[in-house]
Amino acid sequence: MKHVWREINFLVRQRASVWAIALLAGLAALSVGLGLQEVARQKAAMSEVIALQKKDTAAIKVFATDAGDAAYYRFHPTWDPPSALAFAALGQRDIAPSTLRIRALALEGQIYENEAQNPELALPGRFDFAFVLIYLAPLVLVVLFYDLWSGEREAGRLSSLQAVPKAWVRIWLPRVAARFGLVSSVLVVVFWGGALISGAGIGDTIAFTALILALLGFWTLIATWVAKGAGSSPTNAAVLATIWFVITLIAPAGSNLVINAATPIPDGAAIMRENREAVHDAWDIDRDATLQRFYKLYPEYATSPPMQRPFEWKWYYAFQHLGDQQVEPLSTAYRAGIVEREARAGLVALALPPIAIQRALYRIAGTDMSAQWDYQDRIRAYHTQLRTYYYPFLFSAKPFTSADFDAAPAYAPR
Amino acid sequence: MRRAGLIARAELALMVRSRVALIGVVALLLLSTIAAATSQAHMAQERLSRLANQTQTDALFEAQPARHPHRMVHYGSYVFRPIGPLAGFDPGIDPFSGTTLYLEGHRQNSATISAVRENSSLMRFGQLTPAFVLQTLAPLLLIFLGFSMITRERGRGSLRLLLSSGVTAGDIIFGKTLALGSIGLVALVPAWLALFLMALAMPSEAGAAAMIGLGCGLYVLIWVVGIVAASALAQTGQGALLSLIGIWCFVAIVAPRGAAELASRLAPLDSRATTDLTIQAELRQLGDSHNPDDPFFAAFKARILAQHRVTKVEDLPFNFRGAVSAEGEALTSRLFDKYFVELATVQRTQSQIVSGLSILSPALAVRHVSMAGAGTDLETHLRFLQQSEAHRFAMVQYLNGLHRDKLNHADDAARSKDRAAEQRTRIAADNWAKVPDFVFKPTRAAERLSAALAPILTLSLWLGAMLVLAVWSRRVLEGRAL
Amino acid sequence: MGRQGLSLNELVVMRGGRSVLDGLTLSVPAGHIYALLGGNGAGKSTALFATLGLLPVMSGQVLVDGKDPAEEPDAVRAAIAYLSETVALYEHLTARENVDYFLSLANQSRTNAEIVEAFAQVRLDPTAQDQRLSAFSKGMRQKTAIALALLRKTPVLLLDEPTTGLDPQATQDFHALLLDLKASDVAILMVTHDLLGAVDVADTIGLIIDGKLASQWQAQSTLPRFDLQALYGAFTQARAGNTPV
Repeated sequence: MKHVWREINFLVRQRASVWAIALLAGLAALSVGLGLQEVARQKAAMSEVIALQKKDTAAIKVFATDAGDAAYYRFHPTWDPPSALAFAALGQRDIAPSTLRIRALALEGQIYENEAQNPELALPGRFDFAFVLIYLAPLVLVVLFYDLWSGEREAGRLSSLQAVPKAWVRIWLPRVAARFGLVSSVLVVVFWGGALISGAGIGDTIAFTALILALLGFWTLIATWVAKGAGSSPTNAAVLATIWFVITLIAPAGSNLVINAATPIPDGAAIMRENREAVHDAWDIDRDATLQRFYKLYPEYATSPPMQRPFEWKWYYAFQHLGDQQVEPLSTAYRAGIVEREARAGLVALALPPIAIQRALYRIAGTDMSAQWDYQDRIRAYHTQLRTYYYPFLFSAKPFTSADFDAAPAYAPR
Repeated sequence: MRRAGLIARAELALMVRSRVALIGVVALLLLSTIAAATSQAHMAQERLSRLANQTQTDALFEAQPARHPHRMVHYGSYVFRPIGPLAGFDPGIDPFSGTTLYLEGHRQNSATISAVRENSSLMRFGQLTPAFVLQTLAPLLLIFLGFSMITRERGRGSLRLLLSSGVTAGDIIFGKTLALGSIGLVALVPAWLALFLMALAMPSEAGAAAMIGLGCGLYVLIWVVGIVAASALAQTGQGALLSLIGIWCFVAIVAPRGAAELASRLAPLDSRATTDLTIQAELRQLGDSHNPDDPFFAAFKARILAQHRVTKVEDLPFNFRGAVSAEGEALTSRLFDKYFVELATVQRTQSQIVSGLSILSPALAVRHVSMAGAGTDLETHLRFLQQSEAHRFAMVQYLNGLHRDKLNHADDAARSKDRAAEQRTRIAADNWAKVPDFVFKPTRAAERLSAALAPILTLSLWLGAMLVLAVWSRRVLEGRAL
Repeated sequence: MGRQGLSLNELVVMRGGRSVLDGLTLSVPAGHIYALLGGNGAGKSTALFATLGLLPVMSGQVLVDGKDPAEEPDAVRAAIAYLSETVALYEHLTARENVDYFLSLANQSRTNAEIVEAFAQVRLDPTAQDQRLSAFSKGMRQKTAIALALLRKTPVLLLDEPTTGLDPQATQDFHALLLDLKASDVAILMVTHDLLGAVDVADTIGLIIDGKLASQWQAQSTLPRFDLQALYGAFTQARAGNTPV
């Protein structure tokens, strides 16, 4: 340990190293600050939507006095609050809405809604802590490591250092440890600061910290391996930068091309269109047949009296649900295709530890694709809850009171 | 000049002999070729698929049976954002924005189905497109090949030898620039070739393609001159290499994200749900069609009755319910337009902030040139949204017109209760074909050219700054050699 | 304690498929200065590296203070102070910090008084001790390195071309220091090009050709200590023989 402290002291005497580490600390702190602000903004936007929705609902309640109208006009907010660690890995939250207002109508036409984002801003990706960790920290490690051996060789010191007894224990490992230790403590401390402010759980914070150390450990190994070789300092720097470039930019982009080619998915537009056809065809086909199909799914309402008029709400909601039913195989295949792509990306990540670590960060922060699927699942479950809440009023002629309007199920977020 | 040529030739000979340099250049060429081919193929396929979707959607619309026109208002239509002819070079925002818009009455939907939500998360690491290879990878290769071009001469003492044999520092810097510039030229070839082929297939796009090619050329040249200057200014080779990698990382990796982050904070955007709810609330203020005593619709009714000198809506020569629908739609549409202008203003401001920051990073400027030139920038998307809304409004109002003119008011009022009346409110299917098709009018080549002008200017400024740096580095080099 | 000095016995060291040392035998008793001369590529530096245990030995044996570097490399290195040709110190540290740093690497600690004394002994200007090495002349660097070697208090000192680049005055100072060290019973092995310098201080001069000890001269107790003419003749011949083909 004495040797590590000495080497830390030694390292901080070198101006370039101090600059590199200070820059990393600054960028990490900036990313955490931006992340915390972004999470606060997302939460504020959610509260705003919930508050505005309350007013909207109150206005609807004035005229929507029967269950059919209420279910038709009333939007129910759903939202996906960011986890306590989302600040550090904003992940995919910028490309999918984190609030979605849904109605008890066919869901397939509603669930693919997009956020009103400026796509030019989504294009480069987020400046979050995960970015600083995955992209920038390795480059700082490269700067600290590339001439660890070659620099001593070029300055003519290598043989005298090798002549030190237990040189590995007293010089090289302490030097490696000092670099790894300084960079990781800077990042971990900055991250912990953010985690403390956002009130993240201990378990997740520890897991996140372990991933930070794993990533820096991986790059430390690579950098040590290259630096220990016979190359000159500039060669080592170029080799390390190339490895970084290939692992963090080229390999994922190339793999993505291959995965997409190998994993076709159904056309998303076709699902929405099919759903529309299924829903709208109902107007032109035998209404009783539609209802009978619905009763097969919900036999408890089969005793509902036959339709008296060309338009009745119960028939309307029946065909809405049947429309969803009809595209379910397509919709399932669509999702399965995307999940499959993500699974294959997981295989790629096995070969590329930084990718695997980023995925794990997003996973823990609940900002990855599977978190989006979880949100969609909750929306789907809630939608079912919602429409089945209205069914008794529509099919069993249960009177719909003002209290019933208020008693509609509310969305429970994660 | 002759001496500079000799120096350039010697430098190139050295690079050709060094296997690392050769491998680097070949790898870059290979990657740009793969990127150009796959990106072009992918965008071509996407283009066909959207076209097919549009055709199929339009055909479906026309094939709908006899119906109540308001049913068609709710049946609605889909429009698909077409892909510009140069999108294969730089898909830009295309994968990051919804490509499909559902048009229906009373509602303005968001553009859905975007590639970024259909791809694995790997996509966020970057996409292998010709633009990416040229903007991100090519400078890094140029750095590796060029950082030591002059530091090496000085370290070996050959610099003094060169200067003492009558070669000037200017010759050396110009010669090295020529050598690295030829590598840059090689790196540009696949991209330029791809652009040339696209322009050949689509002559009207030649100007835009040339503009993109010019932007890329300027960008590469900025790096070439900057790298040579850095090599002349740095004390050691590794000093040059480290600072260049640092600059590259800032320019190509940090700045784009930082700029986006800054823009989204300086010009914050409301969430879609908030905007929808605000529109709803404002709409209710203006006129609530569900309220029988609503002053707005009451006034409308009074006005219509007065215009036709009747006292009851049943006596109007047309279906009053259709007229109300049209009036309601006009009301909502005005609000949609108003809020769309707000949204577009904020988004344009955001993008302007990003382009303003290209003074800090030429990568932002060249990205702007290639996206604007290829018609894959925010502007194209906003136009798509705006034209789709105009089309939606026209389609709905056409149908509301049918509702007003072709339907009997009494039947229409009774259609929910009376089967026979319901049948009478269905109008012939041939009406649907008369709805005009959606034809997207993309930004014209001339507009794209002028949009690309500002970033081209920024790139020229960058190049000018690099040239000044190179001239200055010549003085420094002369001073240091002694 | 009885110091055993340094001995190389029939040492064979291969580098890149060819034997650089081909049965080198020499011995440096405690309190003895041995100057090993030879042309470029004769194997002088290799002999030092083998002594430090930095290169594997094919056959033969090295004994440093009775220990074999092949078996106990760390014990051997602890017994050696080594001055490389390039005076391998850190430019961004002061003389004092360099000494502290390298002592710490050797797991040794010295009192402030000892360090001040060592600098005085090498005649390094006291004001220079807290200056960064980047401002030092070659001679001052050399003095710092020797101060370090003194502080190490090792039984064996290895020197690689120590006087290259030193001006005559600095060389003289350096030789005076070597004699001080010799007086404190240190075994000193110095490889050098500098025939005249070797003649000044060495007790034994060896000439290495093609990895073998070609000849060896012992210093006489009367002046001149060595037969200069014989030495010079053998040395120039060895140089000619060793010109690369």
